[in-house]
Formats: sequence, structure tokens, C-alpha cells
Amino acid sequence: MYHLKPQSQVIFITFPNGMPPVLKPTTTPVGTTMSSESSKKRKPKVIRSDGAPAEGKRNRSDTEQEGKYYSEEAEVDLRDPGRDYELYKYTCQELQRLMAEIQDLKSRGGKDVAIEIEERRIQSCVHFMTLKKLNRLAHIRLKKGRDQTHEAKQKVDAYHLQLQNLLYEVMHLQKEITKCLEFKSKHEEIDLVSLEEFYKEAPPDISKAEVTMGDPHQQTLARLDWELEQRKRLAEKYRECLSNKEKILKEIEVKKEYLSSLQPRLNSIMQASLPVQEYLFMPFDQAHKQYETARHLPPPLYVLFVQATAYGQACDKTLSVAIEGSVDEAKALFKPPEDSQDDESDSDAEEEQTTKRRRPTLGVQLDDKRKEMLKRHPLSVMLDLKCKDDSVLHLTFFYLMNLNIMTVKAKVTTATELITPISAGDLLSPDSVLSCLYPGDHGKKTPNPANQYQFDKVGILTLSDYVLELGHPYLWVQKLGGLHFPKEQPQQTVIADHSLSASHMETTMKLLKTRVQSRLALHKQFASLEHGIVPVTSDCQYLFPAKVVSRLVKWVTVAHEDYMELHFTKDIVDAGLAGDTNLYYMALIERGTAKLQAAVVLNPGYSSIPPIFQLCLNWKGEKTNSNDDNIRAMESEVNVCYKELCGPWPSHQLLTNQLQRLCVLLDVYLETESHDDSVEGPKEFPQEKMCLRLFRGPSRMKPFKYNHPQGFFSHR
Amino acid sequence: MKHQTSTLPFLSVFLEPPMGMHGQVLAAAKEAEVFQALQRLHMTIFSQSVSPCGKFLAAGNNYGQIAIFSLSAALSSEAKEESKKPVVTFQAHDGPVYSMVSTDRHLLSAGDGEVKAWLWAEMLKKGCKELWCRQPPYRTSLEVPEINALLLVPKENSLILAGGDCQLHTMDLETGTFTRVLRGHTDYIHCLALRERSPEVLSGGEDGAVRLWDLRTAKEVQTIEVYKHEECSRPHNGRWIGCLATDSDWMVCGGGPALTLWHLRSSTPTTVFPMRAPQKHVTFYQDLILSAGQGRCVNQWQLSGELKAQVPGSSPGLLSLSLNQQPAAPECKVLTAAGNSCRVDVFTNLGYRAFSLSF
Repeated sequence: MYHLKPQSQVIFITFPNGMPPVLKPTTTPVGTTMSSESSKKRKPKVIRSDGAPAEGKRNRSDTEQEGKYYSEEAEVDLRDPGRDYELYKYTCQELQRLMAEIQDLKSRGGKDVAIEIEERRIQSCVHFMTLKKLNRLAHIRLKKGRDQTHEAKQKVDAYHLQLQNLLYEVMHLQKEITKCLEFKSKHEEIDLVSLEEFYKEAPPDISKAEVTMGDPHQQTLARLDWELEQRKRLAEKYRECLSNKEKILKEIEVKKEYLSSLQPRLNSIMQASLPVQEYLFMPFDQAHKQYETARHLPPPLYVLFVQATAYGQACDKTLSVAIEGSVDEAKALFKPPEDSQDDESDSDAEEEQTTKRRRPTLGVQLDDKRKEMLKRHPLSVMLDLKCKDDSVLHLTFFYLMNLNIMTVKAKVTTATELITPISAGDLLSPDSVLSCLYPGDHGKKTPNPANQYQFDKVGILTLSDYVLELGHPYLWVQKLGGLHFPKEQPQQTVIADHSLSASHMETTMKLLKTRVQSRLALHKQFASLEHGIVPVTSDCQYLFPAKVVSRLVKWVTVAHEDYMELHFTKDIVDAGLAGDTNLYYMALIERGTAKLQAAVVLNPGYSSIPPIFQLCLNWKGEKTNSNDDNIRAMESEVNVCYKELCGPWPSHQLLTNQLQRLCVLLDVYLETESHDDSVEGPKEFPQEKMCLRLFRGPSRMKPFKYNHPQGFFSHR
Repeated sequence: MKHQTSTLPFLSVFLEPPMGMHGQVLAAAKEAEVFQALQRLHMTIFSQSVSPCGKFLAAGNNYGQIAIFSLSAALSSEAKEESKKPVVTFQAHDGPVYSMVSTDRHLLSAGDGEVKAWLWAEMLKKGCKELWCRQPPYRTSLEVPEINALLLVPKENSLILAGGDCQLHTMDLETGTFTRVLRGHTDYIHCLALRERSPEVLSGGEDGAVRLWDLRTAKEVQTIEVYKHEECSRPHNGRWIGCLATDSDWMVCGGGPALTLWHLRSSTPTTVFPMRAPQKHVTFYQDLILSAGQGRCVNQWQLSGELKAQVPGSSPGLLSLSLNQQPAAPECKVLTAAGNSCRVDVFTNLGYRAFSLSF
């Protein structure tokens, strides 16, 4: 696109030979236009202007403008673009025709041809002029169109902006409206008395019925007024009540002071009455004190204390119950721990410090944890059980707080000082005196299944390493304390239960007494056994012949392991009768060159469970139950037929009777041994016993049975 | 663990009547358990007998009990521990049951002075009572003599009893009367044996003699005083003859003297078996001699005196062997051995001990 100079002029010329009018530029450098025209590759077009009137009109306006200035821009407004287009097409056609003619002429050649060509060239020039003019007009039109569009667009933009402003305003106003609509007054939250009540109760100067009846706003205001009035009155009342309360409190204070001053006075009266109580054998005060201490006992010990006291009062006057330990420490335990860091730390400040000081080593830390876990309650219950012969069994019951089990330590004291035989060392030792009071209850394992998990945490393998220090957790102890641990069952009912304790109290106390008595009896017997004397009481004398030649020469205790290793005790071990809770002894009975060894298993349940003997005779070779039927028969005489050796109840003489019986049996065995005719000389053991027959039955038994009044021996 | 302040009431009374029975029952149970273990430990099984059907074995012990074991159940392929226990155990005698034999319907058991008969068919029921009970005519004595051996004589349907009174008594099984008394032994009799062909009975006793009796004449026909023969005499063990077995002209006996094979017609010892321990039971089996006694083993001898095998059992000493050869139960053909324990060893073949039945 290019702009034409506004000064360019067009001259319309009418051709006489019917040729269409052409625009003729007067002052325009033709060359440039042409080149631009050709560069645009526009086909030459001929514009035909048809109709003379249009021609005439144009001519006129042309002439009018010629006078002032020539404005093509104005001309543009006047001309019809459609006609200009027609003119353009016509001019192009004409140009084409002229060019064709010129070519035709040039190809013919000749003299007059030059003139013809010249003429045609002039005509073509005129057409070019017209084209140029049309081009300029087109450009002007385009510009104009653009300006118009731009103007219109600006207008539209302005309108749009205005529209947006208006919309925003509308929105803002709407918001304001909703705000107003949502407004809530404070008075709506206040609970007002109902309308009827208000008109009934409020004085008329507040209610102003005539004004407020019709006007809800005024009505609300009045009701609020009334509310305020009422609240003021209530506040006044509240203040009055407070002062009243103050007064009463002061009164209470005064009365309390009076009561506390009463306590010491009563105490002094009690103190004064003590001698009277003692004089009258009514230890109310002492019992009361114990009950006071008992309040600080942990539940299991408390159950034990109550039940033992009750049992002592009701059934057994020889049982005395006492509480030991520091009450203050127990009280300290009940205080809520200030720092509840974990369950295990009930420790007081002192211990806390020591643990902190030692913290560096892990082993020591674990050790402290163990100690903490095995901690006993500071209070313990002492039971003293007196037996007939004035010996006393002291039982001290402890409660392990973190393991929730009870333990017992036992001690036996006798009226007269006992000379302790070496072999009786274990009989009354606190470790074993109560072992297996009930079958299988050896008190080395914890009865609470939960404990094993606790032990795992701190690396305790079994409780048995600690029982010496802590006491034994026998099952019956738990039962006396009302603690019930179901065996091999996951659910637990570890609640201190009075009925459980009560149901076991009597049996256990009786068992305890029997145990102590049988142990004391054994203790005494052992003393003489060690001196080679088998004590036979007069009421058991009838079991044995008057003359017994075989003598007990040795009575020693042996270790369980040593017993297991003896060659002639295999049967007992195999039969499972040699558990490690038993006590083991070795007796040696001699007559002449014959030596009879007897290995003895003493069950802790002696004397209801008999001691078991295994024999080995050293005489003319070694004879045991596996190679001599009569040795076997002798064992059976003391082990199986023990019931006739029990003596009077409670059969404390069983062990000594069995030993004496062994002596008799050895006599019979040796005296009845068939004499070997081939050996010269008299028999070592002449037959002194009266026997009906020497041998009997397929296994050639000897007459071991003693018949009391007649004094002869027969077969069983 | 923290416990709360005890709020239990003071002076609580017994909530329930004391019921301490539990502890006592427990102690009594333990006592009974120990007693039972001791009884088992000191048990001796003196005698055995196989039922006529061959499927059951009766065993009698020193407490006078007889236990019936089911051999067929214990030998079956689906045998459990249970089937090695007695089917039924009952108290048969007051004293030990020294000897038992079976007729085609009855089990005869003998102990202290009396012989009892039991019906095999009824014994498996609980609470079985003896069919009859007989006591041989003893001269009055302070002690009732025991019966150590029973012997059936099928030909004349009679039973021979021998034991503590040094005599052989024959009893007619039809009428239950004692018909003859054979006197001769000077001490009590241990064992009896029957010669199959001729009606002759052998008896061995504590006096060290084996006597041969003719049943028709009720006379002693031959006496062999074993201890007097130097080949087999062992004075330190005593003279007694503990076991005896016979097969036509041959007789084997042992006890205090060594186990010896005798030729009866010539009364000469032909083979002395080299066994130090006294033997308590001996029997012929095919061309072997089986013997048992002190020691764990069942010994198998060739007739020439060679020890063919020694099969260990579970008891420290054996008192009786029993070969179940009843044709009715070929699957139960076993050797059983019992003695100084509560177990009866069962040998399915002669080579080894398969298992033990136990009281």
C-alpha cells in the first residue's frame, strides 16, 4: 500500500469515437507508479465510465473544487466505490486491447505503423493515469475505514468500563444490604420472662402496657428494663448469702478447735485406763493399735492378718499375730508419687540419688532395677505358732509389691537349747523346713505367671536365686493371703480374697504344726542316730525282738547328686521318687564282717510319706536287689510294709523303726544264710533267731516277719 | 505396682465355713501315689498262664493279684500304650500267687495253701469270683504251707500240687477230692514235670533231689540226688533244685547246682551247662533248651551245652517263662518272661524282646 499525493490531478476526457472517458493525471511521475504497479503484478485494467449524466456531474464538481483546492479525500466521499470498480475493470480491458493492437501493428511493420503505435501509446498512458488515480482513492478509503473502526472501538471500550463500574457498585450495595439483614442485637441472647408473665408481674411504670402493646420494639425495651431490675435484686440476695456462709464457717472453726482440744484429754484418760485393762485381761487398746497399723498393710497381708487373727481367736489360742516394720515407710508409699515417670519407681529421693550416681554402668543399672522389682513392702506379718513342747514356729510373711506375690520366712525355736547333729542341718533350716508342705509346693518358683515377663525385662532367670533373701513364695502362702493364681491359664484373678484365705487357714495351720513337730522329732532322733543308737520308744518295742545284734554305725547326710550316682539307687531314680526337694541320707549297719549300706530318701512330707530305703550288702561279694532276691525282700519289708512300723499317731517314730527293722532283717538274713559245707570251721553267724522254715517259695525267701508275743520269725 | 489404700472392713468374720479338705485330699493323693510306686517297684511276678484261646495271658504277683493281659491287642498293629496294661486286675489270694495253670475252661491258681479255680470266660468281667477253692489235707502247722507248683495230668483229668509240706497231692478235677499223697521229699518242693508217655511225674525240691513217681502205684521209682554229682554240684549256692523239665528219656534241672541235662534211664548227667547264676525256670523248645533265672537274660542252649543266645529282658531276675503254643491263636505265638519286676517281657521271636506288658 502506498499513499498518493493529494495534489495529483485527474482530467476527464471524452473520446469522440465512442471511446469511454478516461482519467488523465496531469502532474504525476508516471515511471514510479508504473514500476510499483508492475511490481505488484497488477494486470492492466480498463475502467469504463458509462452514462453521460455521471460524466457531466463529475465534471461539474471537478470544476467547483478546482477553484479552492483539490482534495481527493473529499472526492472519495462523493464517488461510488462500485462504479470505481467498474471503471477499473474497463480501463484494464482497454489497456489489454491497446497492447494487443500495438503488438499486432509491430508485427506487421511498415511506415504508418509508427504513428498508429504512438497514438495507441498515448491512449494507454491515459488509462494508466486512470489506474493510478483509482489506486490512490482505494488507499484513502482504506485509511478512512480504519479510522472509523478505531473510533468506534474506543467508544465501545468506554461504555464497557462504565458498565463494569456499575456492576461493582451493585454488588457492594447488595453486600451492605445482607450485612444489615444479618445484624443481631445482644438482647436476643438474654432469656426473658415470657410475655404474659411480664405483663402480670412488672410494675406498670416499666411495662407501660398502653404504649408497648402495639409496638414490639418498645415492648422489647420494656422487657429488657424489667430483666435488669430483676437481676439487680438477685445480685443483692447473693451477696447476702455469701456473708451468711462466712459467718457459719467461722462458727465451725470454733467448734473444731474445741474438738481437737478434746482429743488429748481423751488420750490421757485412755492412758490412765491402761493399767485397769491389763489388770482385767482386756487388751482392747493393743488390739486397736494393731488394727491401726493393719490399715497400712497391703491387701494380701491385710487379708492374712485378719484371717489369722480371726482363726487364732476362734480356734487356736497358741497362734499369735503381729505386724512388724515401719509404718511411716508404708505411709510414704501411699502418697501419690510426684513424678510418675514409670511404674517401677516408687523409690524415695534417697534411692533416686544413688541410682543417678551409679548410672554410668549398665550392669549396675540392671541390678538396681532387679532390686526395685524384688522390693518388699516395709510392713510384714509375723505369725508365731506354738507347739505342745513349747517350741515355736516363727513365720514372717512379706509382700513383694512389684511382683504381687507373698513370701514367707520360717524359723523354729525350741524351749531347750538343741545340740544340732551334723546330719540334721537341713531339717530345721529356714530354707527347707516348710518345703512341700503341700505336695509339689517347693516354693522356688513364682506362683504368679505374670512375673516371668517381668523377670525377662530385668534379666532374672528364676526366682530361686533370690528365695534365701526374700523368703519362699509357697502356694499356700498366696492362698493364706487370698491371692489366687490359676495354673497355666492366661486370665488372672489376682484379688485379695478373704474366703480363699479362710478356707485354707485351718488346714495350713495344722499342717504347719505337724511339720514342725515331725521335724523336731527327726531332729532329736538324728542326734542319737549319729551316735549309733537307734532310739526305739517303749510303745514300739513290740515290733522288734529283744536281741538285735546288728548295729547302726553311721548316719550321714548325702547330696542329691551323690545319691543319684549310687549304683544301687537306680530303680528309685527311674521311678521318679528322687526329686531334688527330698533330703538324702546314708546309713551303715554292721554286724561282724557284713556291712549293709542303706540309702534313704526322706520326703519333706515325712511322716505321711515314708522314707524310702535302698540297700547294698557287702558280705561275700556285693549284694543288691538286682542280684539277691532277699535283699529285694528286705527293701520291700521297710518300704512297702512301712505301715506296721508307724507306731502310735502321728507316727514320728517311723524312720527309727524302719532303721531298727533293717537291723533285725540283717540279723535274719545273715543267720539264715545256708552254710557252705565245703568251708571248714563254724558259721560266722550262728542261728539264734527262732524260725519255722528257712526258705519258702520259688524265690527262696527268708523268714523276715517277726511274730510279737511268741518271738519267732515266719514268712510273710 | 501400686496398690490403693486398703479400705477393707476391720474384724472381718469368716465368709464361708472353712473347707480345708482340698489340702488333705492332695496330701492323701500324694501318699497313695508314692505307695503305689513303691508297690510296683517291689513287685515280683511269680507265675503266668496263657488262656485256652491263646489270646490272653494271666500273671500272678507277690501281692496276690492276678492281671489278665490281652496278647492279641498288644501284638496287633494298632497297639497303644494302653493295650500293654492289664485288661483286668483282681485280688485272687491273700499271699503271693506262686503257680498257675490253664485247663480248657479254667484258670487254676495256687498260693498260700490253697488252690482256686476261675472261669476264663468270666474273668474279664469286673468283680469275678472264684469257681471253687480247695485246700490239700495238711497236717496242722503254725504256718500254712505254700503251693509252689501245679501240674495237670490230662490223661486222668487230675491236678498235682506240691510245695511247702514236702508232699505231692493229686486232686481229681472231676470231683474235687484229693486222691493220693506222694511222700518222700525231705524239704519243700520247688517244681514238677510230667513225662508225656508213661504216667510218671518228676519233682525237684529244696532237699536237692529229683524224684520220679509212678502215678499208678503212687510210689517213688527213682531218685537222683543232683548235688552229690561233682560235675554239677555248687555247694556255695546250696543243693536246691529250682527248675525241672523233661522230654521222654531226658531231663534237665537246675537251681543251686548247675543246670544239667540228665539221661533218666541211666541216671547220669550228660551235659553241664556253663551258667553261674542259679536258674529258676527251664523248658525244652524244639531242639533247644530255654532257661532263665538270676540275671536279665533268657538263655538258649544247644543240647551239646553250647550257649546259642542270651536275650536280655527288662527284669533283674526272671522266675517264669511261658511259651504260647495254642493252635487256636497262631498270631499270638510268643515267649513271655516274668520275674522281679512289674513287667512281663514279650519275645515275638526268640531273638529279641519286643515290648513289656506292665502291671
